[in-house]
Amino acid sequence: MVEVGGRTILSRLIEEVERQTDRIHVVVGYREELIIQHCALHHRNVVLVRNPDFRTTQTIHSYRLGARGLPGPALFIDGDCLIAPGALGSFVEAARGHRSLVGLTPASSDHAVFAAVREGDRGTEVVGFDRATPEAQEWASVLITPADVLEGHENFVYEALAEHLPLPAATIELAEVDTTADLERAHVRAAQWWPAG
Amino acid sequence: MTRTAYCFDLDGTLSAMEILPAIAAEIGFSEEVETLTRVTMDGHLSFAQSLRLRALLLGAVPIERVHRVVADLPLDEHLEQFVTDRADSCFVVTGNLGVWLTPMLDRLACPMVASIASHRDGHLRVDHVLDKGEFVRGLPSRGFDRVIAVGDGANDVPMLREATYGVAFGGVHSPTRSAVEAADYVVHEGRDLCRLLAEL
Repeated sequence: MVEVGGRTILSRLIEEVERQTDRIHVVVGYREELIIQHCALHHRNVVLVRNPDFRTTQTIHSYRLGARGLPGPALFIDGDCLIAPGALGSFVEAARGHRSLVGLTPASSDHAVFAAVREGDRGTEVVGFDRATPEAQEWASVLITPADVLEGHENFVYEALAEHLPLPAATIELAEVDTTADLERAHVRAAQWWPAG
Repeated sequence: MTRTAYCFDLDGTLSAMEILPAIAAEIGFSEEVETLTRVTMDGHLSFAQSLRLRALLLGAVPIERVHRVVADLPLDEHLEQFVTDRADSCFVVTGNLGVWLTPMLDRLACPMVASIASHRDGHLRVDHVLDKGEFVRGLPSRGFDRVIAVGDGANDVPMLREATYGVAFGGVHSPTRSAVEAADYVVHEGRDLCRLLAEL
């Protein structure tokens, strides 16, 4: 519910996703009452999926809850991502013909999961994830994949993906906001992306 | 093949407006009954106490007039279609009085379970208040493997908790905190609710 450029990241994210699909599931845990109220007022078409175990589970658990019942590939995005206008559309377009597509972004966040990539006949592919070894790109917390790819893991999404490497990847322009420093950078990006506010 | 039962609360869930305030409007008690409905939904008054009180107040309305009101009540168009298409696996599960709701049976054509009342000594007396949780617990013996329940108030909590999946629905007004806490999903539009139900 953090605001950037006078609007919540959540609202900006939902509106970007709405340009791609009219099926949006928002998984809620921390401060769910606030988010439910926000969506009841501004995003009534969103299905809110409760994760009462949010304190003891990782994002991958929320991803699975959100995808429950959905057939075929789903687009997964962390709720703290500020996505550049139009970037999600290009990412969805790049996913055509692939079972899965991993989102990457130039490494800049404070808690980056770096992605090693290779270029080949099948385009860009992720070949490894590592928190310790710096790479030019980081895991963007954006993913298109069938939910079964996420089964069998309770820790991090990238660890589940690591079992399926190499995976097709595409760059997506976004700013992930985990820390105060991330937020400051997001404000700068937002001023560039939405100059009128 | 998995057989799923869909259980729907009626007031404010299937119906696009609250039923009892609409009946109360016939005798000029709409606001009072609406307040009573709200405090009951929020869990400040037990549902059984509230129902007895509301039956006492609304028992003065001739049953024919009640039926006319109920027959004209708007339903959520998407949910009405969902229930009509799956009449053999849908149930209307309402704490409201069955004696008032018979016109709904004609419209929805699926089984309805409700609280029971009878006219005695010139008054409408509540004989049995439906326990929604108990009804859901009995569905496996009717051949259902799992249950998806949809409701919005405190009296839906036992049903939402017993179901395989519970949905707190805010079509008419926001679902109560207790209903949300008992649910797996919170949905605000009938169309989106039906798509979710069809895919779960």
